[in-house]
Amino acid sequence: MSRLRAEGLTLGYDAEPIVRDLDVTILDGKVTAIVGANACGKSTLLRGLARLLRPRQGSVLLDEKAMAGLSTLEVAKVLGLLPQSPLAPDGITVADLVSRGRYPHQGWFRTWNDRDHDAVARALDATGTADLVDRPLRQLSGGQRQRVWIAMALAQDTDLLLLDEPTTYLDINHQVELLRLLRTLNAQAGKTIVAVLHDINLASRYCDHIIAMADGAIVAEGAPSEVITAELVAKVFGLSCVIVPDPIAGTPIIVPAD
Amino acid sequence: MTATATRTSAATAAALRAARRHRAVRAFAATTGLTAAVAALFVLTMMVGSFRLTAQEVVTSVLHLADVPSVDFVVRGLRLPTALSALTVGLALGASGTVFQQLLRNPLASPDFVGITSGASLAAVSGIVLFQVGGLAVCLLALGGAVTAALVMYLLAWRDGVSGYRFILIGIGVAVFFEGLTGYMLIKAELFEARQAMHWLTGSVGQASDQELKLLGGALVVLLPLAVILSRKLRVLELGDDTARALGSRVELTRAALLATAVLLVALAVAVAGPIVFVALVAGPIANRLLGPATGGIVAAALVGALLLLSADLVAVHLLPTALPTGVVTGAVGAPYLLWLLATTNRKGAGG
Repeated sequence: MSRLRAEGLTLGYDAEPIVRDLDVTILDGKVTAIVGANACGKSTLLRGLARLLRPRQGSVLLDEKAMAGLSTLEVAKVLGLLPQSPLAPDGITVADLVSRGRYPHQGWFRTWNDRDHDAVARALDATGTADLVDRPLRQLSGGQRQRVWIAMALAQDTDLLLLDEPTTYLDINHQVELLRLLRTLNAQAGKTIVAVLHDINLASRYCDHIIAMADGAIVAEGAPSEVITAELVAKVFGLSCVIVPDPIAGTPIIVPAD
Repeated sequence: MTATATRTSAATAAALRAARRHRAVRAFAATTGLTAAVAALFVLTMMVGSFRLTAQEVVTSVLHLADVPSVDFVVRGLRLPTALSALTVGLALGASGTVFQQLLRNPLASPDFVGITSGASLAAVSGIVLFQVGGLAVCLLALGGAVTAALVMYLLAWRDGVSGYRFILIGIGVAVFFEGLTGYMLIKAELFEARQAMHWLTGSVGQASDQELKLLGGALVVLLPLAVILSRKLRVLELGDDTARALGSRVELTRAALLATAVLLVALAVAVAGPIVFVALVAGPIANRLLGPATGGIVAAALVGALLLLSADLVAVHLLPTALPTGVVTGAVGAPYLLWLLATTNRKGAGG
């Protein structure tokens, strides 16, 4: 049983589909990384899974119900997504931004209540952004800003959290910090996490499950130690490489061959 | 995480509560202050003039508490319609402008710039020049022109949904096109009609009829609360379409509803007073300065709009040696403000 999966999913923006006839199952309670070369359809798949893109064919199933038939507000209580480059209004403060994650839990006229307050406070604590509540987002560093955005998605209080390239604009220290944060959220709150990642070495170190994509199809999936092979890297990225074990965790690391 | 160890959750909850309280207090103080200022100016515009009155005389006459024929003639007959027109047109322009700016995520996206006002102008001027109409007919033509212009832009900007950027560019294109046609109409017009059309095009709160005011007032009673209710949805739409969808917002529907509300507000305002420039553009940013950044208060912006227009009317009619149309004053004050706004926001590196 899996809460989120897709059957025969075809997705695209223009005439030519980007993701074709794809079946995928997101493992409950795990951290999954979707990896692949640029323009392989990994972000498209993530957007499709989060109902941001309507399927051309096939369907996305949330708790065994076709997502297209569910109310988008009901989906938003179970499934959160942090897009690649969300927009922030000029001068918005951290407290204001994170509070907006409560949107799906509020009705037309309902005002702010204790549950909203608790959820936002928990999200701030979990991401270590509680000291920043009064600061304008624009004044923060890239790493802090990304943690604030994750706090906003956490305030949404969903069991499933999808993130589109959350580490892209961060330096290595903040990339690791962010992936550790995702692991903590998974371990402590039991969240199912799916992230599109660029760095295979970090993905194999910090994720339970890897989905490797090329040309809009899934090429391989499974635990990092099973999936990351020299053949796969050659097929997905066109890079000839040697796989060595990570000296700390033993997970596979890609080293360019020449 | 390292930062969580330094603070307990109770401290976080308290900090969050303090931040929210601070915001609420500031919003309340700013809105109350603005309401008081608008009320004071509203009375003041009716006190000054060749026949000076006291505040008490004005208030008792407006509220029908006392009947003094000479005072009633000046207040209810002459000054109240203008003051009411400035008040309602200002409220509508302020609310509409800030909704446009937030919806299209651009401080320059006021209805003055994106072709809605020029659609109203083209329709009104065509009516005056080609069919020699006046009064309520011009008002209705302007209303129709503004709504049609908005619909044309929305349809042209539609491609799997309407993006803010495309809407603005198309809006600017449409505005230039309509202004060209309006210019052509003016050249073809007879002197008398051309003069009438030019007068309409400058914008003035002094030309509203009773029926027009009732129309605008009634619409405000419905549309302003609607804009306030819908503004909660604006708070997530501002975060980008993807984030808004992920948070469960029906983006296209919400955007269409907000646009329709804002278009109707500005269309009615332009229909009643003609194109009064810059009020819709500056009301939102001024309100945000009072309430705090990214608060986007619709009521505060509407009040700032009313405040601006009442002041402009006061200056235009009473403080200058010759009485001028209101639009001339708002233009003269608004243009330098716009330049200052652009200069200061760019200096902060916020990119306007």
